[in-house]
Amino acid sequence: MADIPNKNGRKAILVTPEVCIGCRGCQTACKSWNQLPGISTKNSGSMQNPPDLAPYTYNIIRFSELPSETNPVRWLFISRRCMHCDDAGCMKICPAPGALYKTKEGAVAFNQDKCIGCRLCVVGCPFDVPRYNENNKIQKCHLCYDRIAEGLQPACAKTCPTGALKFGDRDKLIESAKQAGYAKIYGEADLGGLGSIFAFKEEPKIYGYADKPNIPESVIFWHTVLKPFAVIGLGGVVAASLVHYLAVGPHKDEEVK
Amino acid sequence: MAEMVRKTSVGEIVNHWILAVSCILLIITGYGFLFQLKPIGNLFGGFNAMKLLHNWAGVVFTLSLVASMFHYLRESLDFEPDDWQWMKVGGGYLSHKVKVPPMGKYNPGQKLYYLAILIAGIAIAASGFAIWLLPNDRGVRIVSHLVHNLSFALFIIAVPVHIYLGTLANPGTFRIMVYGTVPVDFAKKKYPKWMKEIDKQ
Repeated sequence: MADIPNKNGRKAILVTPEVCIGCRGCQTACKSWNQLPGISTKNSGSMQNPPDLAPYTYNIIRFSELPSETNPVRWLFISRRCMHCDDAGCMKICPAPGALYKTKEGAVAFNQDKCIGCRLCVVGCPFDVPRYNENNKIQKCHLCYDRIAEGLQPACAKTCPTGALKFGDRDKLIESAKQAGYAKIYGEADLGGLGSIFAFKEEPKIYGYADKPNIPESVIFWHTVLKPFAVIGLGGVVAASLVHYLAVGPHKDEEVK
Repeated sequence: MAEMVRKTSVGEIVNHWILAVSCILLIITGYGFLFQLKPIGNLFGGFNAMKLLHNWAGVVFTLSLVASMFHYLRESLDFEPDDWQWMKVGGGYLSHKVKVPPMGKYNPGQKLYYLAILIAGIAIAASGFAIWLLPNDRGVRIVSHLVHNLSFALFIIAVPVHIYLGTLANPGTFRIMVYGTVPVDFAKKKYPKWMKEIDKQ
């Protein structure tokens, strides 16, 4: 696994759904900077379009109509994209070195030449983010690692007119959100700390996010038990065979009755 | 030259080595994927090529495993009273002083080894095909990933033991998987019940 970047140098995107006006400028800016083609979709009766993340759609605004007691026309907008986990399930499970890697800013980026198209990252991801293109290679948000390496903001944050998407030093973003009155920042500590963090006033659930996002238990078990066992187990039986040969020795003819 | 008796048919020997070579290739490439080992990737022409090799070696392994059922399954399921006694004394592998009961063509260690390889083999093949051919079913893939790796754990324990027992630990037995024959005197000591069955006593 790539080395974990210095926490102090880590960048993040702070999403404040309350401020989002659902203009989808972020979607357009993302497609524009990353030169992703538009795909025709069908009207499904929602403003949410495209309906979900796709190989050529790295971020979307999720629209949900959720009337509350005080607000009969409550309409929620939230930006959805790769969460750039510190402890990234996709990177944990990926069998191809270099296919997924972490930049020094903490972005989880991808290299399609190294990707072998096994789609195991989809199994490891707690947020259903990785998508595969027509060549069976991974595509997803990479936090505009090419822009941020040059000191620029990601295209989505750059274009956001309301400040619903803010890019910057992760620590500072968390601090400023807490000062603005958001007691709990979603993703502050989950999965080692997310690179996409959310200032929710309400339950994460209503925005489609699990209270406690997790890499599947089986993947954790595989990583912490089965992987070491693959080394210890093989070494152990080879050593045991050797010890047996020296201590007990092979079957001898005269002893076979 | 001593009088020989054929223990293994040519078909069994050929299939054994197809199974063995594909299995070892799968284990080596499997370690390459498990720990992202670049030297192993380079050995097979990069990780994309290694994935192809791993998948298609899996097909060969599966077909060979199916063929092996015709060779070993019936006898592996046939446990006899002597087999339990053999298990109690550890097949004589833990001490040369114990008395090992007379054995047939296969001892229970071999029978259990075959059953373990068969079950783990079916599990690793089925989960492997699921990972390969069902790219969009996340639930199935989560389970398959675990099953694939659990059965891998069994293979890396069982296969080296099998190699040791078939070579160093039992001098004179390796030729069974090369020539298929053993000297009659040797067979009478090692497989007395089988020799009686085929009427060579």
